[in-house]
Amino acid sequence: MHLTGAAAVAGAFPDIAMAAAQAHRPRILVLVELKGGNDGFNTLIPYEDANYYKHRPKIGIRKQHLIPLQNGMGMNTALKSLKPFWDRGQMAWIQGVGYPQGVLSHFHSMDIWETAAMRGDSTTGWLARVLPRFKKGLHGIAISADQNALGPLAGSQLNSICMQSPRSFLSHARFIQEVPLNHQTAALAHVTKTQHQLVDVGKQIVESLQNPKGRVQQRLSKGGLGHGLKSVAEMIVSGLDAPVYKVTQDGFDTHVGQKGPQENALYQLGHGLASFAETMKQAGMWDKVLVMTYSEFGRRIVENKGMGTDHGTASAQLVMGGRVNRGIFGNHPNLGRLDQNDNVAHTTDFRQMYATVAQRWWGQPNPWKGHRILPFV
Amino acid sequence: MKNLDFVEARHLISRTGFGAEWDEIKRLENMPRDRAIDFLMNRRDTTLPAVPDFSRWKKMSALNKDMRRRRMVMRIAKGEGVKLQNWWLKHMLETQSPFLERMTLFWHNYFPSSIKKTKLPSLLINQNRLLRKHALGNFSLMLHSVAKDPAMLLYLDGYKNTKDAVNENFARELLELFTLGRRYFSERDVQEAARAFTGWGIHPHSGQFFFDRKVHDTGVKTFMGKRGNFNGHQIINILLKHPRTAETVAEKLWSEFINSSRPHPSVVKHWAHILRSSNYNIAILMKAILKSPHFWHHQNRGNLVKSPVELAVGTLRSLPYTLPRDNLAHTLVNLGQGLFEPQTVKGWEGGNEWISTQFLMRRISLLTNLTRGNLNTVRRKSGIELKLPDVSEAELQNWLLAVKPVKPASAPIADGKQRFVRFLVLDPAYQVT
Repeated sequence: MHLTGAAAVAGAFPDIAMAAAQAHRPRILVLVELKGGNDGFNTLIPYEDANYYKHRPKIGIRKQHLIPLQNGMGMNTALKSLKPFWDRGQMAWIQGVGYPQGVLSHFHSMDIWETAAMRGDSTTGWLARVLPRFKKGLHGIAISADQNALGPLAGSQLNSICMQSPRSFLSHARFIQEVPLNHQTAALAHVTKTQHQLVDVGKQIVESLQNPKGRVQQRLSKGGLGHGLKSVAEMIVSGLDAPVYKVTQDGFDTHVGQKGPQENALYQLGHGLASFAETMKQAGMWDKVLVMTYSEFGRRIVENKGMGTDHGTASAQLVMGGRVNRGIFGNHPNLGRLDQNDNVAHTTDFRQMYATVAQRWWGQPNPWKGHRILPFV
Repeated sequence: MKNLDFVEARHLISRTGFGAEWDEIKRLENMPRDRAIDFLMNRRDTTLPAVPDFSRWKKMSALNKDMRRRRMVMRIAKGEGVKLQNWWLKHMLETQSPFLERMTLFWHNYFPSSIKKTKLPSLLINQNRLLRKHALGNFSLMLHSVAKDPAMLLYLDGYKNTKDAVNENFARELLELFTLGRRYFSERDVQEAARAFTGWGIHPHSGQFFFDRKVHDTGVKTFMGKRGNFNGHQIINILLKHPRTAETVAEKLWSEFINSSRPHPSVVKHWAHILRSSNYNIAILMKAILKSPHFWHHQNRGNLVKSPVELAVGTLRSLPYTLPRDNLAHTLVNLGQGLFEPQTVKGWEGGNEWISTQFLMRRISLLTNLTRGNLNTVRRKSGIELKLPDVSEAELQNWLLAVKPVKPASAPIADGKQRFVRFLVLDPAYQVT
């Protein structure tokens, strides 16, 4: 990885010089969607829990094949690129994350996670309850080939954009013309106001990409996530004023022969995040970035006959960033008590993660009162 | 009663169909208002496009039982789902009775069922036919039929609802979304209604509605202050006697046809009364709505955001543009209105929610791509011939826009009608109706 421009001038201590230059930048949240329902139990492995091996005689990961972290928990070796961040105290895990009466349908449970509307009856993302309070203009960018991937950034109160890449966005943005606000009718006022926001967002993206404050010459991680994170890094380093980015890693719906596919997906995740973190450090932005994963559900603790796992409830999520407090937050679920679907009870509500981001990362009031914060940042 | 002028005829056509179709407007211009409304109401084009080949219930339910074959079900549902979307889109683009189709779309959103959950296009197409059959018919009959409709039984988990494992999903939405609305019932009412619907399921062989007596809860239920050994039909009848049910229909029709603000309670009560006193005759209520001062009020012209279907299908029905690539079904998904794919049980929120930065960007991209084409006469696959009417620019503007354009028209767009139409379609005013 190399940096040109300001960083090169700064000489031997580019991190420090850049950090000073970036001090005024607002804090950024990078959401990583793990699509398909990631198996938390083979990601953050409870290797001292006998029930784990009892329920998973075939696909359980033995102690000698994992990276021990603390308190009897270890990390899948596919994530070994992230070990240095754990060692430096810039990474944390949140375990047992789920919600009451966990839904086992992919799309329905993902709606619940992305909107925090517990009946899945809303299309407005959870960030709409936080961002408009303190941020005008651009709210967030989702990188995806699928135009409907805004997820937590969806809704008419949020100025957010879904793009395949900054370049593909520019090809659409060319068509958007500035228009004056128009109040002939309430509907038209809403259209012209939104178009005004859109023009504004488009201009910001164009300007920061054409006159970047810094450049990324990051080697491409393979796969969709690597490309997505490279785009995110480009936009952050270029000085774009978006508080949230969202990327996706898929391949976690591992009903059959889980080991290979899950570890491949985790490898992509670890590798992608490690090189993204390095880029952020070199740009002096690592203290301004919080990376957080989420997934629609975890998987059943009891393995199935096909050496895989079916849809479950609680799972483990990871956070990373220069200001993250190392640790494993939340309690390990009780693997000895299962419900009628052989699923564990969650111990941490996912809204606690959102509450923590709102309160401790952005210094905003917690919209999810009653959900305690977790001091991971 | 005075006759409709051009602008009024335009308002009636664009609000009740897909787009401001020139020939349709011209047909109603100078007609007495009531006769024009009767004309729209009475037109029922019931010839549907050929039904695509969908995998049968038996095959799909067998595959679905096998964990390892579930992926196949998903793959089939995805491919056949696109065929299903295209089937309905084709009908929307070609139908001779756009108002009936608008009402079918309205009920699809009132009683949503998604391909993503049901995974059975063969059942969804039946539900679509059912909604069309009752779209301007009887709401009471429609509600009873929807409650037994296999796609709905799948979508809201009714088929899982047995006396030993009560599933409240359908009962809850029945009370909250289809009839009473939030705050007009208690949790206890949901639980008791769910008990009454136990045993309503799908026959494992035929895929048709099937009442399984063995798993029906025959105990006494207390529902909405009444006690009895109620079954599902009786629950629905109790709901139909409650004044809120017709009010919920009235509220949703207001946002579909008038504007996106909350209607005045007196209007809701009045419309609800019309529906109930006609024994739930939808056509009678719709006639009253279309004749109401609210529908015609000047402040309500151009005060609804076009739904993605209105925007896309409406443009293709009224202007001789052609889509460079035939992926309209997918475009609608990207604009937030995938057919048979509502994102939540509440259906599409509609109104201002159609316009976010992301959706607006895609809407403008769609219109930009469409208007790149020439405006020469086109002959649609349906045999309909479309051409641009030979009228002045002022008339074109009155035809294509419900309100004045936002961008100044003073800039010289002298070189031809083609560019003027493009200017109008790309103006933000084209986004509202």
